[in-house]
Amino acid sequence: MNGLDVGKLREDFPILKKKINGKELIYFDNAATTQKPTQVIDGIKYFYENLNANPLRSIHTLAEKSTKAYIDAKEKIAKFINADSPDEIIFTKNTTESINLVSFSLRFKPGDRVATTMMEHHSNILPWLRLKPYGINVDLVDTDENLELDYSYYERLPDDIKLVTLTHESNVSGTINDVEKVVKLTHEKGALVLIDGAQSVPHMKVDVKKIDCDFLAFSGHKMLGPMGIGVLYIKGGIAEKMNPFLTGGEMIKSVRLDNVIYADPPALFEAGTQNVEGAYGLGLAVDYLSKIGMDNIEAHEKELTEYALKKMSSLDNVEVYSGKSRNFGAIISFEVKGLHPHDVAYLLDREGIAVRSGFHCAQPFIEQKLKQHGTARASFYLYNTHEEIDRFIEALKTMNKKRS
Amino acid sequence: MDEMKFYELSEIYKNPPHFKKIENPTYSYEGFSPSCGDNFTVYLKVNDKKIEDASFFGYGCVVSTISLSKLCDYIIGKNIDILNEIDLAKIEALVGIDQINPSRIKCATLGIDSFKKAVTNKKEPKN
Ligand SMILES: Cc1ncc(COP(=O)(O)O)c(C=O)c1O
Repeated sequence: MNGLDVGKLREDFPILKKKINGKELIYFDNAATTQKPTQVIDGIKYFYENLNANPLRSIHTLAEKSTKAYIDAKEKIAKFINADSPDEIIFTKNTTESINLVSFSLRFKPGDRVATTMMEHHSNILPWLRLKPYGINVDLVDTDENLELDYSYYERLPDDIKLVTLTHESNVSGTINDVEKVVKLTHEKGALVLIDGAQSVPHMKVDVKKIDCDFLAFSGHKMLGPMGIGVLYIKGGIAEKMNPFLTGGEMIKSVRLDNVIYADPPALFEAGTQNVEGAYGLGLAVDYLSKIGMDNIEAHEKELTEYALKKMSSLDNVEVYSGKSRNFGAIISFEVKGLHPHDVAYLLDREGIAVRSGFHCAQPFIEQKLKQHGTARASFYLYNTHEEIDRFIEALKTMNKKRS
Repeated sequence: MDEMKFYELSEIYKNPPHFKKIENPTYSYEGFSPSCGDNFTVYLKVNDKKIEDASFFGYGCVVSTISLSKLCDYIIGKNIDILNEIDLAKIEALVGIDQINPSRIKCATLGIDSFKKAVTNKKEPKN
């Protein structure tokens, strides 16, 4: 057993008490977004009742409170990922915007090369394919039959490599990549590394100093925080060599029509009124996760995933695509034989069980590597239980066998 | 859609009528739903504006497959202009479900959209 009192912490998540189609909700779509604890929900209400004003601009008391809420959130997040300074934390909308920010602001020149991988979410493929018409070459690092990356690519990086970008954990197969190894090899070649932490930061201790990455992107809504707030970590010293992203208010020092002086990072990348409510809420989510302990969360999810995988592999009508790699997280892609993934999701929904189905925004990985037209996907989080998995397995067991 | 209806449809799904390719069709179109991965090519054989045969071939969920199958049933023998009269409500009626869940509307309309695009020969934007 591990150090989580799941029964107790479930009390913090009001939505888990909901009935769906007359059944108790089992929420297994955590890779898409997670549920929120009352600490976050009530915190946002508290923000609007007590702290709301436009931050960073006005000098009245409330504006100072709002500014403090925003800055405090950055400090909490910096500490959470072990960044050196809150100035290394840029607030964005989500992982997608964080990655796009790098693709728009890093100074690429024609002939530069970017390496992404075959197991990425579309949000870590399209921002790079977008650069192709500007003369940027894009490599897609392959995966093997165990859905692991072909690390030999990084051992023989091309000389023109400028940026290596990869997901820490696949949102389809749950494969956890050896990002430390990739960073080491890439830095030896003098290039930068971006890690898509959308599926890792919520589920394990991610330490940017230990990984030594240059960029880390993640989304608040996948880690108990509100939607519409995301993070881009930029290692100190790198932002100074980047162009602005969006332009407008707050990202400048001085605007004379013939001479615009931009602000220093991180303000350079945070144009316009920011999502302070979101930042504040994400700070509270980070407090919540830290209190529970990321190691406890990781251990709990590992136990759940192994339990589910073992049970699923004993079902003759189910094919599982996850769990083949040496290291994997709490994401299980599967198929029920003879049923389309949407129909699997529909039938599970009738039982109150929420799973995702389709391409999971990773069409190249699913079509070319899994050779599927889509999968059904169950993904777990700290509030999921063994009993829920038992009910899920019962639902799968009879699926497509009933009344036929 | 309730579960009984689903299982009734999933019986037809195993071997749906009009699931075939047509050689030398007058019109054809490959329809694709990017979020689901559903992928069907539709075929029409038309003579003097009359639909002599209609079919579909590919891969999709129960809702998209049965919608296509019932649609073919319905349009064969009719004037090609019938395609313009078919909307979601018509598909729901053909399939025999009261109201399709919002998340499945795209599945239900993939077929009719593809037939319409086949005739107008509209290509999806590609980069
Ligand atoms: C690995 C990965 N990267 C990026 C994203 C995109 O996240 P968001 O939609 O919050 O920008 C997701 C979430 O779907 C993901 O799983």
